[in-house]
Amino acid sequence: MSESTPVRRRTIVNKHEISDKRMNDQKTQSQYQPYKDAAWGFINHWYPALFSEELPDQHVEGIQICGVPILLRRSNGRIYAVKDQCVHRGVRLSAKPTCFNETSIACWYHGFNFDLETGVLNNIVANPDSTLIGTTGITTYPVEEVGGMIFVFVREDDFPLDDVPPLHHDLPVRFPESGERFPHPLWPSAPSILDEGAVALGMHRTGQSNWRIACENGFDNAHILVHKDNTIVHALNWVLPLGILPTSDDAITLIEDEDGPKGQMQWLFTDRWKPVLENKDLGLKIENVNGRFYRTSVVLPGVLMVENWPEEHVVQYEWYVPITDDMYEYWEVLVRVCKTDEDRKKFKYRFDHVYKQLCLEGFNDCDLYAREAMEEFYADGTGWDNEQLVETDISPVTWRKLTSRWNRGIAKPGKGVTNATKTSSIRMRRLAEGKAPGYFVEKIDDLNKH
Amino acid sequence: MTLTSTKVAIAFSDGVEHELTVEPGQTVLDAAVAAELPILYQCRSGSCSSCIATLVEGEAETRPGASSTLLAAERAEGKRLLCVTEPRGDCRFELGYDSAAGTAKPVDAQAFVNAVEKVAADVVRLELELADGYWMDFRPGQFVQVAVPGTDEVRSYSMASTPADLPKVELLIRILPGGVMSDWLVNRAKPDDVVKLSGPYGAFFLREKVKAPHIMIAGGTGLAPMMSMIDSIRATSGRKPKVILSFGCQSEDGLFHRDAIDLRQLWLPTLDVRISVDRGPAPDGVRVGNPVEVIGNGETIDPDSVAYLCGPPGMLAAARQHLEALGLSPDNIFAEQFTASGA
Repeated sequence: MSESTPVRRRTIVNKHEISDKRMNDQKTQSQYQPYKDAAWGFINHWYPALFSEELPDQHVEGIQICGVPILLRRSNGRIYAVKDQCVHRGVRLSAKPTCFNETSIACWYHGFNFDLETGVLNNIVANPDSTLIGTTGITTYPVEEVGGMIFVFVREDDFPLDDVPPLHHDLPVRFPESGERFPHPLWPSAPSILDEGAVALGMHRTGQSNWRIACENGFDNAHILVHKDNTIVHALNWVLPLGILPTSDDAITLIEDEDGPKGQMQWLFTDRWKPVLENKDLGLKIENVNGRFYRTSVVLPGVLMVENWPEEHVVQYEWYVPITDDMYEYWEVLVRVCKTDEDRKKFKYRFDHVYKQLCLEGFNDCDLYAREAMEEFYADGTGWDNEQLVETDISPVTWRKLTSRWNRGIAKPGKGVTNATKTSSIRMRRLAEGKAPGYFVEKIDDLNKH
Repeated sequence: MTLTSTKVAIAFSDGVEHELTVEPGQTVLDAAVAAELPILYQCRSGSCSSCIATLVEGEAETRPGASSTLLAAERAEGKRLLCVTEPRGDCRFELGYDSAAGTAKPVDAQAFVNAVEKVAADVVRLELELADGYWMDFRPGQFVQVAVPGTDEVRSYSMASTPADLPKVELLIRILPGGVMSDWLVNRAKPDDVVKLSGPYGAFFLREKVKAPHIMIAGGTGLAPMMSMIDSIRATSGRKPKVILSFGCQSEDGLFHRDAIDLRQLWLPTLDVRISVDRGPAPDGVRVGNPVEVIGNGETIDPDSVAYLCGPPGMLAAARQHLEALGLSPDNIFAEQFTASGA
């Protein structure tokens, strides 16, 4: 640039006023800056991708996690996961699944054919001698299938496969082995999806808010006010407090084991937290009589465990899987160990006729709309600076610091992927057709009708 | 000086190799620049160490009348500064960086002053922001030259920020009595001033994706390139290496950036920090002593560790000797020396 060109300031970004009366003062915020940067999620972690039954043999499905398009195919007796974006010109392979054998997938547009195990470009339908073959490919993702769920390790393209940790590093702590460290005198040991005979039943759906807002809702002990009027609470006469206040410095214990998950356990229903059952000034009093003890913990990359919920011997897991910076896939899963077919049938019956309607829908629907109600304040990034947190927010603040330390990577904004560009005309057309942006790739209908 | 031309082989760390013909009277760097090899260099006068290479075959010496800032121990290990080195017959040099490193050519840029902040008795943090239309990509650990406003002088400083922080650039500058940069910083510099820069320069930068433990020893404002490298390691995908940062200052009133270091410890579980002052008293969490001796004291050091050193010449010499005694290979020790004009 020549000497005579005027030197100009870059466009100034607004600075927002920050009050020093809040719990999240400037210093606290700087401690969790990496979390504030993680709008597209934490990458290089295990996430649930599909329920097993959603991927029958020979089926192909396309999804998106942390801005990464991922294709899953079950064939050859196993599940493969590869990047759902052709190296040629970026077409989503899953939009019109085309497989010429058990171990590869072809792009349906120009016939680029990829090995599912290695991701290598191993053929091109009409150009089998191309010099490009063997020199490029798509990223592959490690897969685990347990208890009826399929998990994928969503990695950056250059994250070494040798560094991939075992799945249990990204799942809640297990019982009874953690029983001494986290005693639970009021309920039996929570099952784990990794237990033998574990059965996971649940649902997943897209929520229109940032994943962090969704995740923080799950273990925020003041949020239970949104459940005050829920059917199941009153049908079963549960004592669900107006809120639960921390009463000591050790209300939360960090989980930072070398060979295990990283997260936090909240000592609910001990003397470290005080349930608030009445607010006289506002004329509020919980009159129900049946104790309903539970405990929440959360581990990276955002996995909630609610022990003893909604019944004894059942545990509720939730995931808030980032899709983009303004959408997440909400997973609500109940796990119970079923030793016999009879047990399985009973659990399934109770799930289909009680839990699904009253818990996963009725109760948790309130969480879903509450998160969406918060989204706009945070959508442009300013909410993270302007929010004014209070004592009960010790839970999210602890979480933010912990994840700033232990995340395995901050996902970069999705590039060239579905819903990354909010104003594209194709997105507008889909909206006009009544299709909300979501998790799954829309499959192309066969147009060859005539 | 030889009377006939010589053949000189130059090998980059990624296996890329070039053969040069060096004419009588030419330095190796002259010939390499003429042949457009991606070699890192800056001062061309034997002081900045950017063009450092290792002589592995043949003989090559400093040209008569020139001097280099290399330590005797470095020369003995075959280190040469190519800008002042003439071959004595055919020879071969190896470079400690890959053939892509030198492709980011230095550029001229202008930047606004965002903040001038005194962070210790004799240290100023200068935050710049590249002006509209300018950009300067760099590798963590490299330095820029800053023209001192109102003078013809330039000074070199390592970036404390990372490429991801661009267009913001953060420098840590030691205040020296009578220094021209110091005079500007203390008496005149203010937000919205415009300064001219050039860069990036230097062969001292983070080698990417190395799994072996990293040892970083920083004296005073030698902390700057370490901050850039630590922040880059944190943002790199894959399992993070263990990092030992040993940071030393002369005395308590010279200490700075402790909050910034605390944050990195919070964000990077593999980071292990030791802070020293040469003279007491020392505040909590700081020991009295030098930043070199604390490495390997009561701990086992992996001999495959890589080391990054930045500080005054005496500290670098001591650190090199200490680390080699702990079993580190000289090839895995990278150093940036404060030059005399680093005011």
